[in-house]
Amino acid sequence: MRKAAIACSLALASLSAVAQQPLKPEKQIELRQSAYALIGYNFGNIAAMAQDKQPYNKDEATRNADFVAMLSDVPKGFFGEGTDKGRDTKAKPEIWQKRADFDAKMDKMIQEAKKLPAAARADLTALKKAVADTGSACKACHDDYRAK
Amino acid sequence: MKPPSPLWDAPIRLFHWALVLLVIASFVTAKVGGEWMAWHLRSGYAILTLLLFRVVWGFVGSTTARFSSFLKAPKAALEYARGLMARQHVPSVGHNPLGGWMVLVMILILLVQVSTGLFADDEVSTQGPLSIFASAKLVSRVNQVHEVNQWIIVGAVVMHLVAISFYQWGLRSNLLRPMFDGGALPPGSAARRGSTILAAVIFVVASSAVYWLVVILPRSA
Repeated sequence: MRKAAIACSLALASLSAVAQQPLKPEKQIELRQSAYALIGYNFGNIAAMAQDKQPYNKDEATRNADFVAMLSDVPKGFFGEGTDKGRDTKAKPEIWQKRADFDAKMDKMIQEAKKLPAAARADLTALKKAVADTGSACKACHDDYRAK
Repeated sequence: MKPPSPLWDAPIRLFHWALVLLVIASFVTAKVGGEWMAWHLRSGYAILTLLLFRVVWGFVGSTTARFSSFLKAPKAALEYARGLMARQHVPSVGHNPLGGWMVLVMILILLVQVSTGLFADDEVSTQGPLSIFASAKLVSRVNQVHEVNQWIIVGAVVMHLVAISFYQWGLRSNLLRPMFDGGALPPGSAARRGSTILAAVIFVVASSAVYWLVVILPRSA
């Protein structure tokens, strides 16, 4: 019984050790790119509405805005050390050289993205503003840290 | 008696100053970004219209506006440049052999900028009207060219201003004034003046072509 308990806790310990081990760079890049792809798709739809390229539809806008807000803090966790390569990536090495600035810009984007759901539920005017602010926050980071 | 022909016809002067304003507007709106990007695109469409007009006017416009009158052999441009260095300035009627090439370079780099802009996509919220027709790979290429070429344009504008200043203070030749008031051709010049009505027609056709390119064509996607 005691042996089993020890074996069990050892197994658990090793499991949690595995869980705490950082993901391989390759995997981190894949995950952040997947999040960005979904953010881009959803944001693209509300941006088209905000620019009057697509008719404003509150239900659709709300759905897209909710996704963007939810996904916005996903990429942040997958920019670990050493993830500047390992897979095709446009992430510039400057991210890891100017980490504080990168993080600040990332946080700014998250902060703006979190305002999208309320704006989408309000009206088109509110959505336009929130989309413009989020778009600028995205772009601020792309300009410095994303290769063309 | 016909009034003396101007050195630069009215269409050329309008083209020139509209282009100056629009290039500045394009640069500034791109830097400000956000909601101003809508104006960046509009400014680009207007520049494309002007360039199309200018290229056609370069074949059928007034003599001093024609490519055939100012595109000289590279050798002539070199000799002219050597003359400048030696401060032996032979004034030209219209574009000098060096300036003529600069006109062509300006038109070409601006054409590169507007045509890449049509296909560009900042992957946030601004897309060129034709980017839907391009593959992701092409869009990424086009973005790079659009980004780098803006600085080539800035460089060309700086060269242009330096050259005008050099003529003004180095050679005591005022190039700026005729671009405002048209200046006058020397007496006895064989240069002919283009038709203003023809210029207006070309401009309308150029505008329609751009409208088709940026509004009608993308709807087919």
